[in-house]
Amino acid sequence: MCIDDQLISAYLDGELKEPYLTEVKEHLSYCQACRDRLKDFKALDGKIKEALALREEERDRHKAKIAEMLEKKYFEGGRKSIFRRKVELSLSSLVTAAAALVFVFVGGFAFFGEDGGQTGEILPSYPLRAEVESASFVSDEKVTLDDFSLEEILSYLDKKGYVVDVTLKGIRPINE
Amino acid sequence: MDIRSTDKDDFRFVFDRDYPLLVDVAYHIVWDLDTAEDLAEEAFERFFMRSMSFPSADDARYWLLRVVKNLALNFLRRNKRELEVVSSVGKEELSYNESGESNLIRNEERRLVRNAIESLPENLRLVIQLKEFTSLDYKAIGRVLGISETNVKVRVHRARKKLEEILGKEYRDVY
Repeated sequence: MCIDDQLISAYLDGELKEPYLTEVKEHLSYCQACRDRLKDFKALDGKIKEALALREEERDRHKAKIAEMLEKKYFEGGRKSIFRRKVELSLSSLVTAAAALVFVFVGGFAFFGEDGGQTGEILPSYPLRAEVESASFVSDEKVTLDDFSLEEILSYLDKKGYVVDVTLKGIRPINE
Repeated sequence: MDIRSTDKDDFRFVFDRDYPLLVDVAYHIVWDLDTAEDLAEEAFERFFMRSMSFPSADDARYWLLRVVKNLALNFLRRNKRELEVVSSVGKEELSYNESGESNLIRNEERRLVRNAIESLPENLRLVIQLKEFTSLDYKAIGRVLGISETNVKVRVHRARKKLEEILGKEYRDVY
């Protein structure tokens, strides 16, 4: 039986570990079909690399320039670069500090603002010191059981878990 | 060996060692050398700015590779439409000093292979790109992509089979 295709692919990459490596090597020594398969993968690899690999001189054409630029930017004139770093690093804490300041500012108005007009502008929905006379109940009428139908009362009690037995005055149950 | 990204010698060492690798990875995702160089530079800028330290040079390398890979993918997503226009105008190829005819064949070959790779789903494409265009082994590729070594092995194989399907096998005798 031939070896798994995937093993051949891994073998090509030099990624096979023992005991697979020995097995695959041995198998390849006598199996033409698997040798061909290995050849296929090798050829594909070669084709891809030849078509698309960057040539070294092309790839590294700006390496020295970029290295120099980065070194100048970060390491030369040490004090400047340290200062720069500090600014960069404290940026997020600056934002936090600014946010905290805004919070305190707005909060100050919300909790201590005497002038209702000003507070209202900043926090329109903030309830300004409610006076007794300006507050009123939605309804002054007392709610009584008469406001509910018998069905409503029964279903309410039912929901609460009560078992309710209803009998009507003057009417005797038939099966008694 | 500890690597600190703000240490001059460490920075120089890592840059010297990994810059080519970063350009290679970025280039094979965005297919434009200028952009790839910009992205590699950006990765090193972040490396310094973050003021990080790594337990080894390899760890720094994996971090940089992850950053440049993500930068390249983001670049592609952002510029997808513009890039389509540019490549249809034909700005894509690097100039090679070869005779006209072989240049033509080469360009055609390059286009075919590139299209084949681009047609792979992203999870296969990145793996095969890292495998073919860098010297990274399965373990390293797994570290960069956040997948297991076994998973890399499976994906490399799948990508190869797919590429074979697309490109055909007739090139076997050539090599």
